[in-house]
Amino acid sequence: MNKVNALLECSNLTKNYGKSQAVHNLDIKLEEDTIYGLLGRNGAGKTTLLNMITGGVFPSGGKIQIAGQLLKKGETPQDICYIREKNLYLGNAKVIEILEHASAFHKNWDWSFANELIKTFRLNPQKKIRQLSRGMESLVGNIIGLASRAPLTIYDEPVLGLDVVMREKFYRVLVEDYANHPRTILLSTHLIDEIAMVVERVFIMDSGSILLHDDVDNIRLKSHLLTGNKEAVEEFTKNRQVFYKESYGKGSLSALYDTINETDRRQANKLDISIEGLPLQKFFSYVIEGGQPVE
Amino acid sequence: MKSRFNENQPIFQQIAEMIEDDILNGTYSENEQIISVAQFASTFQINPATAVKGIALLVNEGILYKKRGLGMYVAEGARELIMGKRRTRFFDDLVQKMLDEAYKLELTSEDIIKMIRQKDGR
Repeated sequence: MNKVNALLECSNLTKNYGKSQAVHNLDIKLEEDTIYGLLGRNGAGKTTLLNMITGGVFPSGGKIQIAGQLLKKGETPQDICYIREKNLYLGNAKVIEILEHASAFHKNWDWSFANELIKTFRLNPQKKIRQLSRGMESLVGNIIGLASRAPLTIYDEPVLGLDVVMREKFYRVLVEDYANHPRTILLSTHLIDEIAMVVERVFIMDSGSILLHDDVDNIRLKSHLLTGNKEAVEEFTKNRQVFYKESYGKGSLSALYDTINETDRRQANKLDISIEGLPLQKFFSYVIEGGQPVE
Repeated sequence: MKSRFNENQPIFQQIAEMIEDDILNGTYSENEQIISVAQFASTFQINPATAVKGIALLVNEGILYKKRGLGMYVAEGARELIMGKRRTRFFDDLVQKMLDEAYKLELTSEDIIKMIRQKDGR
């Protein structure tokens, strides 16, 4: 798979609200036919970033290019389907009416798929939006995101209010449909372990900046947790990228972002250092705690 | 959500190993078609690109081959290839690690051989 074309590129993007900076000199690039995860705590600036990309909020600085075209003030980019965390649907409208409305905006919209999804997620299309639970409302958004088959689909916290069965169903349908209809999908979420298998690349965002972007499989390969005697760990991690450190008594715990080969492992073994992999959730917490960009 | 994948190894490598295991235990025989990328993705809820990478790894090693427009098939001699590769790794990973730990515990190779014979019932 050759993915060279940038579908979306933000450079030096900044957004100020009064004196506070929600997004700070941020660079991000999305390529064609890739599923991305945008990970960050609440208040990290994720939604502000998404609102800028989708034309709802104009940046204070920097630029946004979509398929090579500069996004101008007041423009709503074509070919993007944005599913917000807080839906702005009219309470009195029926589910089916909301879908009909959405279908008009997306040229790849697939009605037979939409109807199939209504069944899969057991939604009553005749129900009014205000009668729906939070989870059902998320499902309406998820159906729109899937059936639109837009070149870029952005979900902001897509599984809010959904139980584990429905969440798994959503992820399964998403990867399956993506396999048959490749497109770019950005999942913004704080539920990290759940999307670890679903996304190909992740951006970790905190305090308005991107601290790390990499392939999930690369993270799996490079993130390690070392525990052992303090001096031994220091000796081993010399000249390597440590992004988080903790001490306890004579022991020390260090999170490392580097590949470790067989020779390294043998050295660690001699120094009595144990090396473990890090689950993505834990990796995320350490990167955030460290607060420094990781490459 | 419980996953059948472990955290210490890239998922595409684990996918490749799952396919290898299925070839070793006879789930797939030579020249038989393996499941499609879309089926992989939905069965394990993984990113299809990851499945593609795992499959590509096996294509490069001559374990799988592609039939245009049809899908991926198990190559002739795949089982032998996997067996050879896994035996080397068995020695490098497991035997070496066992010996390192054994020497730490001041066990001799005779002690280890004795233990293995006992376990094996021979």
